[in-house]
Amino acid sequence: MPYYPDQRHVLELTTIQREQTLPEDAIGSVDVRQGASVNLRDIVARGILPSRYVVIEAAKALRLKKVADLGEYLRVSIGEGVNTNTVLAEVPKLRNRRVLSPVDGVVADVNEGRIILQIEPESVELEAGLDGQVVRIQPGQGVVIETYGSVVQGSWGNSRRVIGTLRTEPTAGLESLYGEDLDIQFRGAIVVTRRPLRQTGLDVMEDQNLGGIIAPSIEADLIDAVLAVKGAIMLTEGFGSLRMSGLVYNMLNNFDGRQATLEAIQPNRWQTRRPEVIVNPSGRGASRAVRANVNQALTVGTSVRLTRIPHAGDVGTVVNLPKTPILLENGLQVLCAEVESVTGEKITVPLANLEVFGR
Amino acid sequence: MSVSEQRSGSILAVDFGNVQTRALLIDLVDGLYRLVARGETRTTAGFPANDARLGLNRVVEQITAVTGRKLLTNDSKVISPEQNDRSGVDYFVMTASTGRTMRTVLVGLVPDVSIASARRALAGTYVEIVQTLSLEDGRSLEDNVNAIISSRPDLIFITGGMESGAEEPVLRLAHAVQQALRLIKGGRKPAVLYAGNSALAQTMRDMFGALATIFIAPNVRPTLDEEELEGAQAQLALVYNDQQAKRGGFGALTRMSRNGVLPTAQSYNLIVDYMGQASGQNVLAVDIGSAVGILSAYIDKRVTTSIRTDIGLGHSADSLLSVVGEASIKRWLPFVSTTNQIRHYALNKSLVPGSIPETIKGTFLEHAFLRAGIGTLVEASRPTWSKQLGTNLNALTPHFHTIIGAGAGLTQTGSSAFGALLLIEALQATGVTRIQLDEFGVVAALGSLAYTNPEAVVQVLESSSLETLGTVFSVSGVPALNRPVMHVRIKTSDGQVIKHHVAGGHLWVYRLDIGKTAMVDVSAGRGLNIGGKGRVKVTAEGGTVGLIFDGRGRPLPLALDAQGRAAQLPMWIAEMTGNPMIEIPDEWLTEAKEESSALEMEAEEAVRKVKQRGGLFGGGKRKATPEPVPAAKVKAIKSNQLRPDLRLPDEASGDSKATVQNELDDLRGG
Repeated sequence: MPYYPDQRHVLELTTIQREQTLPEDAIGSVDVRQGASVNLRDIVARGILPSRYVVIEAAKALRLKKVADLGEYLRVSIGEGVNTNTVLAEVPKLRNRRVLSPVDGVVADVNEGRIILQIEPESVELEAGLDGQVVRIQPGQGVVIETYGSVVQGSWGNSRRVIGTLRTEPTAGLESLYGEDLDIQFRGAIVVTRRPLRQTGLDVMEDQNLGGIIAPSIEADLIDAVLAVKGAIMLTEGFGSLRMSGLVYNMLNNFDGRQATLEAIQPNRWQTRRPEVIVNPSGRGASRAVRANVNQALTVGTSVRLTRIPHAGDVGTVVNLPKTPILLENGLQVLCAEVESVTGEKITVPLANLEVFGR
Repeated sequence: MSVSEQRSGSILAVDFGNVQTRALLIDLVDGLYRLVARGETRTTAGFPANDARLGLNRVVEQITAVTGRKLLTNDSKVISPEQNDRSGVDYFVMTASTGRTMRTVLVGLVPDVSIASARRALAGTYVEIVQTLSLEDGRSLEDNVNAIISSRPDLIFITGGMESGAEEPVLRLAHAVQQALRLIKGGRKPAVLYAGNSALAQTMRDMFGALATIFIAPNVRPTLDEEELEGAQAQLALVYNDQQAKRGGFGALTRMSRNGVLPTAQSYNLIVDYMGQASGQNVLAVDIGSAVGILSAYIDKRVTTSIRTDIGLGHSADSLLSVVGEASIKRWLPFVSTTNQIRHYALNKSLVPGSIPETIKGTFLEHAFLRAGIGTLVEASRPTWSKQLGTNLNALTPHFHTIIGAGAGLTQTGSSAFGALLLIEALQATGVTRIQLDEFGVVAALGSLAYTNPEAVVQVLESSSLETLGTVFSVSGVPALNRPVMHVRIKTSDGQVIKHHVAGGHLWVYRLDIGKTAMVDVSAGRGLNIGGKGRVKVTAEGGTVGLIFDGRGRPLPLALDAQGRAAQLPMWIAEMTGNPMIEIPDEWLTEAKEESSALEMEAEEAVRKVKQRGGLFGGGKRKATPEPVPAAKVKAIKSNQLRPDLRLPDEASGDSKATVQNELDDLRGG
């Protein structure tokens, strides 16, 4: 029986389709049409985030006998913007029988003698984040954009997005930038560090105005600080002092100086997207871009990444797929693959602990 | 005669879990429903496919490869009914636990009455109660409207009002819901389920029909003393199906099956209820999956089900840690660990939820999470068992005649005996209990048949589709360490008599194969009991493990420090599996450095792996379970003459023995 491992894409040139949507609770509209070409910074959708509603018992305040009579005395209509003290309703010639708006906002509803205002909502704009073409519209929510380029997916992110130039850390490490004069090449850049990210790295991010950081791992007690920073941070491996996979580092290093979009998505059980960095190609390459294979079965010769300690982050090639379960040192008896690492070492790894790169 | 009438019976049951998609093919064999093939693959509702149908295709292909039966059309639809060439199936049923829980706002009059009943009705569905509105909370209309809108519900569940009772209070709350629904814009309108005073059913339809999809169910609390949950639960299944239909690939799937997609947890509720009613005995089933923990218990002629979406070994590993706390994990670890090391384990597991531990430490951590998670599910259910617990408040659970374990953490250890040990320890079974594992997800699948084909449910459950591990006899109280606490006499069906004295703090396993029974007579030592009795005499059923005699006492006297547990936990594993005992290296028992990372911790272990001994279960040098000792020899066995692998390591763990003894003394109040 074929086995289909989990996928975490590391692809040099591929066709990419990504959904860009407004926050889940936003009420919005899409600004582009299907088929439109968009650039990284183009606004593709706008919306407002719901804010508190204020219920005003207007009919009661006007001392109306029938709530249905309120319409007769209304001075505003649904959807209309109002300021504090705007007259919402009044009984003519009776100045003490008027209803004033207690807030700046919008008239959301008039119903059963009540006027319902929504306090000035916060507006949001959604950038395309990719150079590409809109292939699908999700009314009121966002778009699906198709592009081609390179993609490197990580394992965790701090829920931020940034567009910037990819830069490899200085030889002395990211921390060496701390206290240095502002280096123009790092300002707004997405810096790749091969070392686990520590508090000093976050200090450097603020000190040097970095746009984002791609690091292999952080200690768990740094999570709150990472979630609090303004820039985007993606971990390629996970938590603890984990090393960055050589394959991932080499690919990111090759993109030094290129414009990239870092989507540091924070995974949760309902999140279907992965944190990732997408690099649009510098030249024309669409014809060479191949869509990732979602139906990739594990076979001898498949390149894989190992996901669990003690081999977490290691990369290798499947050299054997035994048909019967193998008894591991820890007593579990499961189906395994024999994987040859880049150093030539052969390791027996449970199939469940292998990921493929999407091709 | 139609094709379906000629060949009625074949069933394809598919369960979509958060990590695995499982399929069972059930068919008539000699006139009885039997499980004939199964398949399992990764769930594909998430990245990169975002389409559950791909997983369905893969898993069905596995069944086709085994049986030769074509089950899908060329455009990947399930062929139904079964055709003359044996392609297709007569019934296609689906359950799912994957996907987002339904964010639910509960609306009712009184927290202890209608809202309490509504909570129980929700027990079989994956919901997160995000807001509760009642008359007693004293909130204004404005507060209620904002509470509903800001909680972004998928479902608003309105209850309240006895039959023929006052209507106005229910209507007042319903008006707040109506107002909130008027203000929610776009396609995010929640569904409304009404299960209150039936006199208001039409009014509710009129109020909400134009604003949302409305479901009406019989009153969950028709009188103060009555509760009717079934109608609401059936409607909740429809709401769940409606929600699933909007998710990746499930829309097309729900159209393939007459019954749509049912929540997996409801299967547990239905099947445990059936098993309890059929046997007249207490039954408990526990399933710890990647994202969700489910515990269903039939006790005192009533079934209760708890679902915790924050208890799981994969997606929910980190939330499990938050729920149970670090101490609950550490109490199951035979090595010293730091806060960060445990947290790293949980966080990394949630990033690769389908992965399995490769190291011994990782395995102990995984099983610590498992035991702690089950313990929390049990703790949550204990208040409803107070009557059965009676005065025995020290017991974690009342006596259950049958216990069923499910979820990869329990069923895929590679050793039935180890699965049994985890189940016994996590639930701290008391008395005499038959234990089973559901490796193939049979309970989940059968629940979807309970309404339409109960005959199939009965016959498949009776056909050894669950793995029977055996029968466990557990002594309660505080046994004296290494002194005889259980006096066992086993008479096998061929007349052989085996006598054995089980020492306090130890386990003893007598191999009795599946399908075999034996007369077992067990007396508990002074001050101890087995399910409240000093002596039990029963016909016990064997299994893949056999008859298990647990002389460790209840509550389980786990050592308070890692050194003590390093002596206990490996010894108990060895006693259950019959394999050599794992040695815990001294360096694992020294104070862990907080800065020591998970990698460093595991790297140390990787070096240790070169040691020749096999592992938790003896690696490749698995030792066969000893044959029963002939009767003549058995008589010569004295209480303190345990098998070498049952003894506490004398020199090496002298301190550990002292620790265990100290804790036993503490428990005794000494």
